[in-house]
Amino acid sequence: MKTYTINIGRQLGSGGRLIGEKLAERLGVPCYDKELIFIASKESGLCKEFFERADEMTQFVPKNDLSSWFSSIFGGEFAGDNFLCNDSLFRIQSDVIRRLADEGSCIFVGRCADYILRDRPNCLNVFISADFDDRIKRVTELFKINETKARELIIRTDKRRAGYYNYYSNKLWGHATSYHICINSSKLGIEKTINLIQSNL
Amino acid sequence: MSRDNAHLSLGTEQVGKLLTQYAVPAIIAMTAASLYNITDSIFIGHIGPETGPLALSGLGITFPVMNLAAAFGALVGVGGAALLSLRLGQKDYVAANNILGNVLVLNLILGISFSLVALIFLEPLLRFFGASDQTLPYAYDFMFIILAGNVVIHMYMGMNALLRSAGHPRRSMFATIYTVLINIVLNPLFIFGFGWGIKGSATATVISQFLVLLWQFKFFTDKNNFLHIKKGIFRLRREITGGIFSIGLAPFLMNAAACVIVVLINRGLLTYGEDLAVGAYGIVNRVAFLFIMIVMGINQGMQPIAGYNYGAALYPRVGEVLRKSIFIATAVLTLGFVLIESFPHAVAAVFTSDDKLTDLAVMGLRYVFISYPIVGFQMVVSTFFQSIGMAKKAIFLSLTRQVLFLIPLLLILPAQLGISGVWLSMPIADSVSALVSALLLIVQYRQFKARDVR
Repeated sequence: MKTYTINIGRQLGSGGRLIGEKLAERLGVPCYDKELIFIASKESGLCKEFFERADEMTQFVPKNDLSSWFSSIFGGEFAGDNFLCNDSLFRIQSDVIRRLADEGSCIFVGRCADYILRDRPNCLNVFISADFDDRIKRVTELFKINETKARELIIRTDKRRAGYYNYYSNKLWGHATSYHICINSSKLGIEKTINLIQSNL
Repeated sequence: MSRDNAHLSLGTEQVGKLLTQYAVPAIIAMTAASLYNITDSIFIGHIGPETGPLALSGLGITFPVMNLAAAFGALVGVGGAALLSLRLGQKDYVAANNILGNVLVLNLILGISFSLVALIFLEPLLRFFGASDQTLPYAYDFMFIILAGNVVIHMYMGMNALLRSAGHPRRSMFATIYTVLINIVLNPLFIFGFGWGIKGSATATVISQFLVLLWQFKFFTDKNNFLHIKKGIFRLRREITGGIFSIGLAPFLMNAAACVIVVLINRGLLTYGEDLAVGAYGIVNRVAFLFIMIVMGINQGMQPIAGYNYGAALYPRVGEVLRKSIFIATAVLTLGFVLIESFPHAVAAVFTSDDKLTDLAVMGLRYVFISYPIVGFQMVVSTFFQSIGMAKKAIFLSLTRQVLFLIPLLLILPAQLGISGVWLSMPIADSVSALVSALLLIVQYRQFKARDVR
């Protein structure tokens, strides 16, 4: 079988990462999520804190408080020739993603991998969503927080990820035209979702 | 050299060597840009014994309009350049070409609209900025031609910004040098040869940038370049224009703030002085700009080195690059300080032979350069915060010197001290903001130390 890459976009609490990991286990290939940060940090020589801080963020996502609004307006001027700005960290992370995809079949969760690898053959781009109630349930269990907090976290994360994805890929996060398959994991359940993705390889 | 290799050498190569490698080209480009303005002023100052000083004052009146035009240019240019380098980093040539097309169209639209609005209200605008019956004709003649050619100037600036971020900084530097050279040839030809006066200088500016724009176009129409003009890239796309405006807003506001500052300075000089004081500010501004631009070149060179080493937690190297940059910047500006304070008459004489204007310019030069030995420190520290990813502190510091402290001083001091108050506002704002940067730097240093101990 030829080398392939599966790129999974996901809503927070949709089980996207779990699906990626289980699928990777079944296929016997690596699955990269947060690991990308460590690899990018190691290869560039920059500390992982900077990648963590910039993870799935852009300078230009509007935020709520005044001071960050102010700095998002004035911050633009300071985005230039700077190793620690999000654009440049994104570039380093992209190089890592491309190299890993060159090395063999693998699964990427998030981080615009579908855009970064857009010119490669044998990419399957998937988006996992879920019903809101199921997402809240999963997030409360995963992060051990109450329902109100989970709701806030979900809304904030969706906004952040959409801002990141739309800015870096010029496509729309979570819209059917941006992916090959879009699956609601509430409808199919984790196992059937994995089967569906695998059957499309 | 590929980017990957560049990364690693930033963390291992000698700091002094790196600084030379990164800062020297930036300094050359910056100096060339400021030479452009200086030569313009020199030729205009020597139009005639009677008319020269008034023409220089008329030119000074146009500074705020020029700042506004530059603000719109920066809005598109800086935003487009940032987006372009992002797409090129992903080898996304389709999106990169769309950015090129969108930048061209936006420059066309904004350049023409700005010209139309400014031309319709040119006289009241210049009056508001402080033109008198004596200086208005010069300011009007100069600005009329510049505005008529505004699209060319915008395009030229926009293409230069794109060239830089497309990985051709040398080509962009040569574009600047060519405009300076053509301008130096055309200025005397039009002003003195054809007897066009200040109009000749404006025409020379537009023509020299037009010729270089053609040269840039030759590059951007070459089909062998991954980035070239072709059908279909000119349709405005929301994701591109939106990105350009959100990134370009900051440089736009910075330039707009510069416009407000110059208006305050000019009006202060006119209220407590006379027309010629504006011409004197024109001279002081050009001379000061030359030195400031050199420091900006040093800053540009320092940024990637400080940023990378901070990111890689190589703190001794971060300290070294900061110390060395501060030392060089301070050396350059102290040299400027000594030169200006010792020979202000000689410097002013380059721009004018008029006694009265010379006296006014000498007074301005002496006041403004007093603080220069510490300005280098302020500027380097502000950029340092930027390069280690602390944008908020960097923004705050660069605003203190040019806006936050300067505006209140310009509103208060002239009423008390007259024309000296206008001049004094600048070194006082410089000194206070240098003090603030020193405080911020000390606090930051202590935080670093505390973190290291832990």
